[in-house]
Amino acid sequence: MIRPKRRVRVAASIAAATVIAVSLTACGGGGSGGVEDTEADKGLPVAGVNLTYDPNTLVNDGKPIELEWWAWSNIEQFQAIADAYTEIHPNVTIKVVNQPWEDYWTKLPLELQSDGGPAIFNVHNSQHDNLIAKMEPYDIDPADLEADYTGAAAHVIDGETYYVDLGLMSGSIYYNTDMWEAAGLTEADIPKTWDEFREVAKKLTIREGDELRQAGFNFNGAGQAMQMGMAYQLGQNLFAADGATPAVDNQANLDVINRFLDIYADGSGDADFGASATESFGQGLSAMTYAWGWFSGTLRNEYPDLKWSAFQTPVPSGGETPYAYDRYNGESTFGINANASDAEKAAAQDFLRYYLTDEESMKELSLSFSIFPAYKPIADDPAFTEDPALAAFGDIERYIWPGPVPSTFETSTATMWEEILFNGVAPEDALATAQKTIEKDLDGKGFVPTEDLYPFYAAD
Amino acid sequence: MSIHTSTKQAASSSAPAASASGPRRIRKPASELWLRNITVGTVMVSIVALLLIPIGIALVGSFHDWNPLNGTFDFTGIDNYVELFADATFWRASANTLVFGILAIVGRVVLGLAIAYALFSKLSRWRTFFRTIFYLPTVMPLVAVAFLWKLMYNPQFGAINTLFGLDINWLFDPRYSLLAIVIMTIWKDFGFAVILFLAGLYAIPEDVLEAASVDGANAWRTFWHIILPLLRPMLFFVVITSMIGYLQAFVQVLVMTNGGPGTSTQLISFMIYDQAFVKYDFGYASAIAFVLLVATAVLTAASWRMNQSAIDTPRRRRATKRSEKRPS
Repeated sequence: MIRPKRRVRVAASIAAATVIAVSLTACGGGGSGGVEDTEADKGLPVAGVNLTYDPNTLVNDGKPIELEWWAWSNIEQFQAIADAYTEIHPNVTIKVVNQPWEDYWTKLPLELQSDGGPAIFNVHNSQHDNLIAKMEPYDIDPADLEADYTGAAAHVIDGETYYVDLGLMSGSIYYNTDMWEAAGLTEADIPKTWDEFREVAKKLTIREGDELRQAGFNFNGAGQAMQMGMAYQLGQNLFAADGATPAVDNQANLDVINRFLDIYADGSGDADFGASATESFGQGLSAMTYAWGWFSGTLRNEYPDLKWSAFQTPVPSGGETPYAYDRYNGESTFGINANASDAEKAAAQDFLRYYLTDEESMKELSLSFSIFPAYKPIADDPAFTEDPALAAFGDIERYIWPGPVPSTFETSTATMWEEILFNGVAPEDALATAQKTIEKDLDGKGFVPTEDLYPFYAAD
Repeated sequence: MSIHTSTKQAASSSAPAASASGPRRIRKPASELWLRNITVGTVMVSIVALLLIPIGIALVGSFHDWNPLNGTFDFTGIDNYVELFADATFWRASANTLVFGILAIVGRVVLGLAIAYALFSKLSRWRTFFRTIFYLPTVMPLVAVAFLWKLMYNPQFGAINTLFGLDINWLFDPRYSLLAIVIMTIWKDFGFAVILFLAGLYAIPEDVLEAASVDGANAWRTFWHIILPLLRPMLFFVVITSMIGYLQAFVQVLVMTNGGPGTSTQLISFMIYDQAFVKYDFGYASAIAFVLLVATAVLTAASWRMNQSAIDTPRRRRATKRSEKRPS
């Protein structure tokens, strides 16, 4: 029998535990401490051209609602877009949650699989297979999307759209303009071919004895980004003529590897000179690096004092247009969680229309990612021609899109480069291993490349 | 009347008559039996629900092409295992795991034992202070420790190269990368071994040590012939728990090197994670997990046998000597 004093203590313990448990389980999404909205007419114009957004409505009948939005970069920018929407609809609170890229693709698919996860999440098309089953189709007529968004038709699945491209991104050579000048180089010295590039890299390299102080060119941790695009310059597609077999283990890729190894062999860079080429460039330790458009935003946000510009990736032979300069890929719009509540999905669909018709936000995002905007109404904005990384591309027509290539291409070529640079594995062997790994990972996935849609496509 | 007395009385009044061959069995009261059944039942249910069922699911899954994201669950027989044993990365990861395990266990045991013995014999005045200092890394989260060491290993501004005047790319040079993770792991874990060995040392009867001293045994002989044999159970416990833990080492690799450069620091557990949560090939990951489970069980059983035979051998010797002394 429990004594009265102990009974009180036991009861108090149970009560405390209950309070803790209840408070912990009350952390779920969907609830909100926001305000009610009673004014449907905001006195604002309808936005958009073919795809339109009418802000003069009540979202969720004006009742408070909270949405979570996962992203891996540009958090402040996305939060600003969300906050601007909240100004129109004060009852809707959208919280942007930063999930670093390294964890994003482990956490998100599992969250969605367990019928949880955020109402809205940014998408990368390399993870298409892992997400699509848990995505809600856009409540937008695909024809309207196609009319205003370049390439939207390519994303239609059984008459439904789940995400489209914000814009098209590719790679270029970023260079430090201060180092460029200090080396006595001018605009006229911007290299057109890889041979010229190699010489420029030598001029930009600074050594003190055997010690490398400034790398002329650094591609540490970026090999995988270059590899897939540079083989196109030599006429090598990423997939064999059958449209299914990955084409990695071949002479073109071997030539690409050897070209970059030669630059390091010159002493213009070193595998041990920092793990990340982009970080090294940002810290002012490397004069040139290869990166995709996202790096412009990183430089502006994280290294605002660094003076930089960009030029088009060099080509094998001067005066000749290559098969393709590089590959490009789409930066995707966000997806909507199919497992979210009906109220959350309805609010997300409304926010989606706002997002896709907000010219200012689309322009800022496009500039931040250095992407050719997919949103047609802003495509001719002069700001895009002034962006160094975008200006570097020249004619996007000569860039190829292999499709939403599964992430194994990038991860396997990243491992391949590490094996070559650090473990002394022969390029031929590393390529063969990468080929095997990619084939294994793609087995049964049913991935269909889109290389054959390239206007200048030629089967191997 | 106390509960104790009344229970005894109740027990004796209801107890059956004692048998001639053994002590009288006391029937426990129903409430006590009920409590025992509830407790044991809860533990058993937990083991089944949280351990055996998931293991069973994983075992079944290892014979399937299994991707939970797209709902694939197709029977493939032993294909995953055949593919696994032909996978160069798996053998590389196995070798790495073995090297990592041996180095980390030896480092942890040797360092832990040396420091524990020093605190026990020479630095007894500072015992509490040092014990606290050495134990601190053990209570720190492994993720935080791994991040800290990753910064310390940075070849350009890391504390280790700066302090020792070295020029080593610790985490990106395959000659050092695995060793770098081993050093960090030992630093994190040896404090717990110190505490365990100290507990073992205090359990040694003082008169045994005094007798050794009276017999003129020097410190080394005392340690080697008296302390070490008496510490064997604790030594065995530390080795076994370390082995089981290090065969499953994962977090430090994920944080510090992500298995790289290339596959030079890829351990089995990291490979399981990579296959399951990066490539979503749960079938293949389950096959790797089962191979790891079997390997861990075999190594643990082998260690157990070795320990038992090491204990039994002197006993057998003594028994043999006694039988030889007996007059026939």
